[in-house]
Amino acid sequence: MATTRAFARLASRRAAVRPAAFLTRGFASVTESPTTSETVSPKASRGPISEKQTSTIKEPEPGKDAKIKTFHIYRWNPDEPTSKPKMQSYTLDLNKTGPMMLDALIRIKNEVDPTLTFRRSCREGICGSCAMNIDGVNTLACLCRIPTDTAKESRIYPLPHMYIVKDLVPDMTLFYKQYRSVKPYLQRTTAAPDGREFRQSKEERRKLDGLYECILCACCSTSCPSYWWNQEEYLGPAVLLQSYRWIADSRDEKTAERQDALNNSMSLYRCHTILNCSRTCPKGLNPALAIAEIKKSMAFT
Amino acid sequence: MASQRVFQLGLRRAAVPNFLKLQPAGRMVQRRLAATDTVSQTTGQEILAKQRLQRPVSPHLGIYKPQITWLPSMFNRLTGVILSGGLYLFGFAYLAAPTLGWHLETPSMVAAVASWPAFAKISAKAFVAFPFFFHSLNGLRHLAWDLGIGFKNITVIQSGWTVVGLTVASALYYTFIG
Amino acid sequence: MASIMRPGLLRQACQAPAASQRMLSTFASSSVKQSSPFAQHMRPAFARSTIPKSTRIAAFHATQRQQILPPLPQRIEGTTNDPTPVPDPTPAHGSYHWTFERIVSAGLVPLTIAPFAAGSLNPVTDSILCALLVVHSHIGFESCIIDYFPKKRIPVIRNLAHWALRVATLTLGIALYSFETNDVGITEAVKRLWHA
Repeated sequence: MATTRAFARLASRRAAVRPAAFLTRGFASVTESPTTSETVSPKASRGPISEKQTSTIKEPEPGKDAKIKTFHIYRWNPDEPTSKPKMQSYTLDLNKTGPMMLDALIRIKNEVDPTLTFRRSCREGICGSCAMNIDGVNTLACLCRIPTDTAKESRIYPLPHMYIVKDLVPDMTLFYKQYRSVKPYLQRTTAAPDGREFRQSKEERRKLDGLYECILCACCSTSCPSYWWNQEEYLGPAVLLQSYRWIADSRDEKTAERQDALNNSMSLYRCHTILNCSRTCPKGLNPALAIAEIKKSMAFT
Repeated sequence: MASQRVFQLGLRRAAVPNFLKLQPAGRMVQRRLAATDTVSQTTGQEILAKQRLQRPVSPHLGIYKPQITWLPSMFNRLTGVILSGGLYLFGFAYLAAPTLGWHLETPSMVAAVASWPAFAKISAKAFVAFPFFFHSLNGLRHLAWDLGIGFKNITVIQSGWTVVGLTVASALYYTFIG
Repeated sequence: MASIMRPGLLRQACQAPAASQRMLSTFASSSVKQSSPFAQHMRPAFARSTIPKSTRIAAFHATQRQQILPPLPQRIEGTTNDPTPVPDPTPAHGSYHWTFERIVSAGLVPLTIAPFAAGSLNPVTDSILCALLVVHSHIGFESCIIDYFPKKRIPVIRNLAHWALRVATLTLGIALYSFETNDVGITEAVKRLWHA
């Protein structure tokens, strides 16, 4: 502690020497680049450069019986906004890595490449932060085991058809705005009969099982081709599951309004029962069934 | 507190040559060259909006694992378009036939087809039979789902492969035998 | 495949900078030569200049496979805290439409099985089959148009497609009507063609 203080004082004496202007970056790299000839408006649809054309970053200290596995990870750096994304390869010794994909990512970030960016929080499948596309399937990195077959290379992409903030971090703004649009809270005008709580029978409560567990990781929505093509208007499985969670709730009194909000060609009926959502849900829920139940409940209204 | 100091130091480290020698070798030290600036809410939003315009969209159809859920769904639409498209084309041709001098009455069509070589007949039959049986059988699956039946993952996988199997069997039967 | 042959991309691949150079904000001190403070000062500028121009300018315009309706740059309406707008209820395009479509599809099931069991259909059932096929096809194509021709992006093309489909369906209806009245009926025709 004392030494750091000393250093701080030492450093502050030289505080007048500011880093030169060319060393500082702006608030973010969207500030106009110095030469205007470089400002090419990039296409949103630009795909990643194949891993065959990028370098491989090797395991720093492979052990004696190293089980070396290759990971190809989608990278895009917003500091070079017009650049193409690319697939960066990393090799890791599985003996030194935890069992889950998230462990591999964290190890890469800690020991190999600190610039790798991804969301993570709880590492036990309850926060939904580390949702990403691993080996072609959307899942939570913390719940996905690393396949121990070292001959097969793993590919990690961000959630499909989302705008990328950086590397594996997609922009979820639209998703959350859509979630907000289904009014995910209890709506009642009448007071509780006993003046205290809104009570439910066991059967009524059981209807919410398989709905309330959703952690809004967006794995299902971003696995849905319909959502890929019509993200702006179709709500997507996760949000519809949440909508059904309130439609099915016996305590909610705005069921008809909730159904009306979905009663148009886009919001609900772009679901063509493709069922990628149920297949991919890392929590084992069934958004497709929830959507089918909404459709059934609205069939003759 | 201490960590904050260290962070500040990191910024100024460059100016203090002695400091570097005290750093344990190989330790990760972060040095941030980003200048921070307080901006208003609206300016921040503008910057964000500008950043958004530059963002790429992550890969989707090309990288998603081929699964028995979405591939049959895709083929369901594709076969539907093939079958209905064929029907529409036949309808247009049938209406235009008198003016164009074509003969699309059943007997003349049958006669025309009868004169085709066996290979052409079989390919034409297969071209119709596979989409037809796939679309019909998969349609039953969709109707079941609309009733809320068969949503469990394992059921979906089983029914999907059943449809594929039945399609191949019945299409082959009607192409070569029926 | 074509991208492999692009010299621009290859160049970019060869020159791909190391991890420590790619990002200027963060790097491991162990990887930095600690010769003089001046070098420390200069390094970021140097590092910046070592990023090949091709990665900064991006090679995307040189290789992209042509896509149909590729996604547009991201735009978010309103602030993060506004919900997305909720459309007005239109059951004719929503629940009624869905129910009607399912009834038509369910009606097609027995009419599709019957000819396989009975050989062919009598004229009345055959014309019902035709009518249902027309409706089913129309709804199917309509669904394709709604899915693949977004209203906001290509409203004119979408409208044209809708009208083209309506005209086509009407024409098909007339054609099948005349086929049903003047000819043998669609199931019988298919049967004869099949065994031709």
